[in-house]
Amino acid sequence: MQDQLNDFIILSGRSNLPLAQDVGKLLKKEVYQCITSFADGEIRVKIPVNIRRRNVFIIQSTSSPVNDNLMEVILMIDAAKRASASRISLVIPYFGYSRQDRKEASRVPISSAVVASMLEHAGCDSLLTIDIHSEQEEGFVSVPWDNLYSSYSLIPTIREKKLSNLVIASPDKGGMIRATGYARLLKAEGVAVVYKKRDFEVNNKSEVMAMIGKVRDKDVLIVDDLIDTAGTIAHAADHIKRHGARSIRVAATHGLFSGPALARLSQSAIEEIIITDSIKQKDEVINNKKITIVSVANLLAEAMKKIESGDSISRNLILER
Amino acid sequence: MKIFSGSSNKPLAEKIAEELNNHLSPLDIFIFPDGEKRVRVIDRVVDENCIVIAPTAPPVDSNYMELFLILDGLKRSGAKEIIAVIPYLGYQRQDHIFRDGEAVSLEVVINMLGATGVKKIICFDLHSMHTSELSKIPMKHLSALPIFVEEIKKIIGLSINDVVLISPDMGGVRRIKILSELLNNMSYAAIEKNRDLASGEISAENILEGNINNKKQAIIVDDMISSGKTLVLAAQMLKDKGIEEIYAFGTHPIFSNDASERLQASIIKKVFVTDSVYVPKDKMFDKLEILSISKLIAREIVETLSV
Repeated sequence: MQDQLNDFIILSGRSNLPLAQDVGKLLKKEVYQCITSFADGEIRVKIPVNIRRRNVFIIQSTSSPVNDNLMEVILMIDAAKRASASRISLVIPYFGYSRQDRKEASRVPISSAVVASMLEHAGCDSLLTIDIHSEQEEGFVSVPWDNLYSSYSLIPTIREKKLSNLVIASPDKGGMIRATGYARLLKAEGVAVVYKKRDFEVNNKSEVMAMIGKVRDKDVLIVDDLIDTAGTIAHAADHIKRHGARSIRVAATHGLFSGPALARLSQSAIEEIIITDSIKQKDEVINNKKITIVSVANLLAEAMKKIESGDSISRNLILER
Repeated sequence: MKIFSGSSNKPLAEKIAEELNNHLSPLDIFIFPDGEKRVRVIDRVVDENCIVIAPTAPPVDSNYMELFLILDGLKRSGAKEIIAVIPYLGYQRQDHIFRDGEAVSLEVVINMLGATGVKKIICFDLHSMHTSELSKIPMKHLSALPIFVEEIKKIIGLSINDVVLISPDMGGVRRIKILSELLNNMSYAAIEKNRDLASGEISAENILEGNINNKKQAIIVDDMISSGKTLVLAAQMLKDKGIEEIYAFGTHPIFSNDASERLQASIIKKVFVTDSVYVPKDKMFDKLEILSISKLIAREIVETLSV
């Protein structure tokens, strides 16, 4: 039988080429770039190789500039479909708009559903994401959607730190399942949760209210899916510090670091921030001494191998649940 | 009926609303620090016909995304029929596969509009006449040519035999023929333009259809003005062949890069465009004149809704 692994094709948009190339290296595959721009800013796609009857993976994070990166992936799907690809699998390490996943007020769109249905309408056959904001979003499309957890990549790095009396904290109520998962994997002493109330009339401002769990004299690891302006994390860290924690670290999958994020983090009680390369980072993040970047290339490469070979992803790559 | 405007061309939307003796319904469009947009419809729209005015000019992807979000918000809020007025339809030039491995971006965006529940699209002077015919969503293809005809009559005065209409490329021949008919069969000619697909460089070769012998005035008409290079090349060639006075008409002022400077510095006497695309202050120039398409759009909206 023909070795399928030798046949598939990896295409990359412009949002996170280094990650795509790392995945390519692990899979011993060339990564093809296919995007340029017209003078007026319209995106131009051209797939440079024959992909007829090939399985195609498109790797693209829809991080900032989110609308351009989205259009890139949509047009790449269209080009791949018209070039007679057998199967088009999207690998979207960071899925933009995933926080707008419900009607938080009357007369608003469900933007994440709009994005997901655009990808499906363009003709993708499956999606692969890491730590999507809410897993119900998988139901926005009728094609298979595998969501991975970055804990596969982050846990080994955290274990190396040999934190002795570890407590895992969630910076909000929604993150409790993740926190308990980490607590189990890291054999932590306990779990804590900081509540906040987010006011939708005042955008991106969050307020710390209360905490459940004991953190006094503990090494606390706050886990979250993403760090955007870092308001939530910094508030939670300060709250935990006030309750007597010995040290505070943060592990999060997606580092958006928008607006005042880096300033807030440097002023906060947080000792160290561990994030992944799901989003390509700017130099000020890479060179920031508080921030450690862990690659998810291995996780993605393993998942792509399993997609190609038909092995179970949940049995081998999902540790958290 | 409720009228909404995206953030790409509010002045045009306001004019259209005025023509309809109506006003724009507010939209709360907020940009998060990471660049994601959040859209909120303020007024109740249950059982209302909704008009969304949003040319998808540069920044094209962000304007498209905003439009999709507005449409989704309206649909989920119970809007009756949604009509998208997209005077300039972004990605319209990518209407077929030029080279292997490319996308047909135009079909992609039209499919997206269909998926977000648009009943009809109203657009202006599309690059290809076939676009509206092939669209899966009913598409009304309006033209700025009737507006151009009025302006051209003012320019030429009585010397109609000295004037020739020019299409700067063979793709615009159908457009220039229609314009010629609207102007009592005024003479017309088309230039052979070549584009190197790899480098994108263009060149104006020679007159392919019609002729410009003994003509003094030339009126170049195109669907859009992007870098302005096509117009400037065509004008130079016409001047070399003995034309004395050259005007340019283009429906969509995309004006990428240094188009404004290029056109102002050129031998073209005046450049006429429409307000299908908003021209910011820093791209305005002395030779530029902007004609409004708001009346034509308002009329089409009335006709659509009266059926």
